[in-house]
Amino acid sequence: MRMAFFPGCMIPVKYPYMEAAIRKTVPPLGIEIVDVEGFTCCPDPIHFKAADNFGWVTAAARNLCVAEEAGLDIFTICSGCTETLSEASYMLNEDSDLRKRVNKRLARVGKQYKGTVKVKHLVTVLRDDIGVEKIKATVKKPLKNVMVAVHYGCHLLKPSTFMRVDDPDDPHVMDLLIRAIGAETCKHKEWYLCCGRACFDQSLREDMTECVLNSVKEMNADCMGMICPTCFSSFDLGQIMLTRKHKDEDGRGKMISPVYYFQLLGLAQGLKPEEVGLNRHKIKLDSVLQKMNLEN
Amino acid sequence: MKESKIEVNFDKKRELEQVLGADQVSYCYQCGACVGDCPSARFYEGFNPREIMLKALIGDFDEFLEPDSIIWKCSNCYNCYERCPQDVRPVEVIIALKNLASQNKTSPKEILEITKRIKETGYSVPLVSTTNRMREEMGLPPLKKIDTSELQEILKPETKANKK
Repeated sequence: MRMAFFPGCMIPVKYPYMEAAIRKTVPPLGIEIVDVEGFTCCPDPIHFKAADNFGWVTAAARNLCVAEEAGLDIFTICSGCTETLSEASYMLNEDSDLRKRVNKRLARVGKQYKGTVKVKHLVTVLRDDIGVEKIKATVKKPLKNVMVAVHYGCHLLKPSTFMRVDDPDDPHVMDLLIRAIGAETCKHKEWYLCCGRACFDQSLREDMTECVLNSVKEMNADCMGMICPTCFSSFDLGQIMLTRKHKDEDGRGKMISPVYYFQLLGLAQGLKPEEVGLNRHKIKLDSVLQKMNLEN
Repeated sequence: MKESKIEVNFDKKRELEQVLGADQVSYCYQCGACVGDCPSARFYEGFNPREIMLKALIGDFDEFLEPDSIIWKCSNCYNCYERCPQDVRPVEVIIALKNLASQNKTSPKEILEITKRIKETGYSVPLVSTTNRMREEMGLPPLKKIDTSELQEILKPETKANKK
């Protein structure tokens, strides 16, 4: 299947190794990645939307038009982009007055939102269109005895009204995809908690991030399974900052390594750790690599 | 029996309702379902989405438009959107209040910085000198400059001439 790739900003700019992992692991599953010219930032659902909600939906509609013109559905790889593009589609499809107002703006540049493209996060494409069996068939090195504590984050699942990825109170999509590559998954106590990254208050952010991390550390997991790049930044660099702040006085020196799902998929497909950028993490994935007899 | 002194400022409330996202605020019946799962309420005493909705309902929300007001503690997790039995979408009402604060130029400076960067470069994250080097090392093509002329054009507010 061919789909328009919506890379967003955070992954291609800050975490290109996540993009590399996707470009290497997805074609073997039968997805043709189409790079479409003309996309801008989704725009981000925290800052841009807080500045101007109508401008935000208009800019998102322009991105949707770019895919419509290419005649392709969109696949996203960032929870924030998924939220923006899904919410904008929902609003424009439900509210005809809003659609008229937005289309008036788009007409200035010769565009019109028609509502003909679907927006899907890559994990839903894998689950619904590719299927677990095809994923299993690409696995060369199953992640045997690797325990992954899953953290879904907020925007992959909520609001379910238009996200339609999974049941936000009992999600399984990540568990299904992680088990498909031979690892085990577990649910930690604070699995539902936000990483706090979007609060404009440093100590509030840190309290939420720390609460999630302490909960994950109780699980004796080998790593933390991530799908949201914003969560990843909270738990990778954010974890280092927290440790420095506490100077390890309470003996919580043990670190837990966050890892993006498609990097794990890459390892399972036989890619080397550096090919999916694991050497670039602030917190190294030692425990997983040891179990797989790999060196970072 | 004491006389209730609450007065609703309907003009103010209508002003808020006209901002995209806040149109359902009148349906809030103050049940508090938004509070139970709110991470900001859990970690910050004084943040209470039900109380924010109450002030929105009675049109008494000027305090939220002050710099560093409590609305900026919202984590944008969308749990309240998920839980609200009335489809008020409290987080969207909070975002509408943030829109009013932004018009008032009282929103945090990151809001303006990031919005400006998106309009000018098409990216929310700054491209630094190491970005394309890291991409090259990962075997990825360099990031191209994004043409933002269309984006800038569609974000211009309506004038009397183009409104018709």
